[in-house]
Amino acid sequence: MHPTDTAIKDYVDGTSDPFERNAVETHLATCEVCRQVVDDLQEIKRVTGTLELREPPVRAWGRIERAIKLEQGNDTARSGSYAFFGKPGWRKPGTIPYWLAAAAVLLLATVVGLRYVPGRNQAGSDGDGVETSASASRAADAIESELRLAESHYENAIKGLEAAAKSDEDALDPRTAATLQKNLAVIDQAISESRAAMRAQPASEPAKQSLIENFKTKIALLQDTVALINEMRKGNEAGAARIVSGLKQKG
Amino acid sequence: MSPEDLIARCQAGDVEAFETLYQQHAARLYTLACRMAGSQEDGEDLLQEIFLQAYRKLGSFKGDSAIGTWLYRLALNHCLDYVRSRQAKMNKLTETLDADTSFQPTARRETPIARLDLERAVERLPEGCREAFVLHDVEGFDHKEVGKLLGIAEGTSKSQVFKARMKLRSLLLGNR
Repeated sequence: MHPTDTAIKDYVDGTSDPFERNAVETHLATCEVCRQVVDDLQEIKRVTGTLELREPPVRAWGRIERAIKLEQGNDTARSGSYAFFGKPGWRKPGTIPYWLAAAAVLLLATVVGLRYVPGRNQAGSDGDGVETSASASRAADAIESELRLAESHYENAIKGLEAAAKSDEDALDPRTAATLQKNLAVIDQAISESRAAMRAQPASEPAKQSLIENFKTKIALLQDTVALINEMRKGNEAGAARIVSGLKQKG
Repeated sequence: MSPEDLIARCQAGDVEAFETLYQQHAARLYTLACRMAGSQEDGEDLLQEIFLQAYRKLGSFKGDSAIGTWLYRLALNHCLDYVRSRQAKMNKLTETLDADTSFQPTARRETPIARLDLERAVERLPEGCREAFVLHDVEGFDHKEVGKLLGIAEGTSKSQVFKARMKLRSLLLGNR
């Protein structure tokens, strides 16, 4: 008779008493299957002991910082501490047309209210809050897998736009940059909430749509930011005004 | 800057000091979060939530323990809350796990298991046994502590860890 799971586990962990240990070893001497199991489990245990720490992605601190700034209600840029906008060397305030400040305020109005609010009759949120059917599970897995792909697509796009915006950040005045940063923090918060909703209700189509919409909003804001920076660098007030006008329509 | 000065600056709301604190402890907490959550994406979200919570609660840190211990405890509690919120799904998946843990012979292993392969396999462990495995085999808690943290009996912790190891064996060696 093979040893029990507990006996095998205790043997691998070295916590068997001498009698049990002896019984397991006697069995292992003649049972190739159990010998192999024990060898494999000991190897897994050995490698587990060598696992290393993982470094979080570089963007992780930026997300945290933006969320902190949002909590602080900080709407003025501070020198030397922003991961994205707001480094020293910006143009002095006062050299930027008044409409940029208006645009910044408008941007904020555009993105506020993105938060995901679960509805009462969404998939995966019935009265019990528990899904047990295999079909629901498959649906959840399919949505999760589809969402992973979408997330990766959007995150790549966002990364590229962030890099583009960052490389030309000097073109923005501190007030506009601070407001844009605040907007990004609002969007990031909305993305976090949508992700949390997806975790709580993996089969929820509205939660998925909310997350994707928030990604799109972030991309749109970054695209507009890059376009605005380009027009300002060129000194093209009319072009910048067109972008602001587009933002008004979106708002 | 001394650790005390750093904490004092963080408590005063200095974001640059808080970034230093983040750089010192992020890897450990991110690793814990990824392994407990089972994915890097969720791990990153959890890391953000953990540090935001730390920022909010730093005012209550009295220095009774090292700041690293305090942060680890906060992170662990946050990860456990996350795990509990997925309790319903966990129960469902743990049931399906039972079929995977038999003493099936696997192909003879000819090379050592690579760390990266093991990391990936841990992410693929079903909810329930993964958390017990991470807490016991990786983080070093004993079964009594794991039971307390996960709200399960000590014996259940033992069986979940065993199931996790057998599932890892199947994931790492079963298809060779």
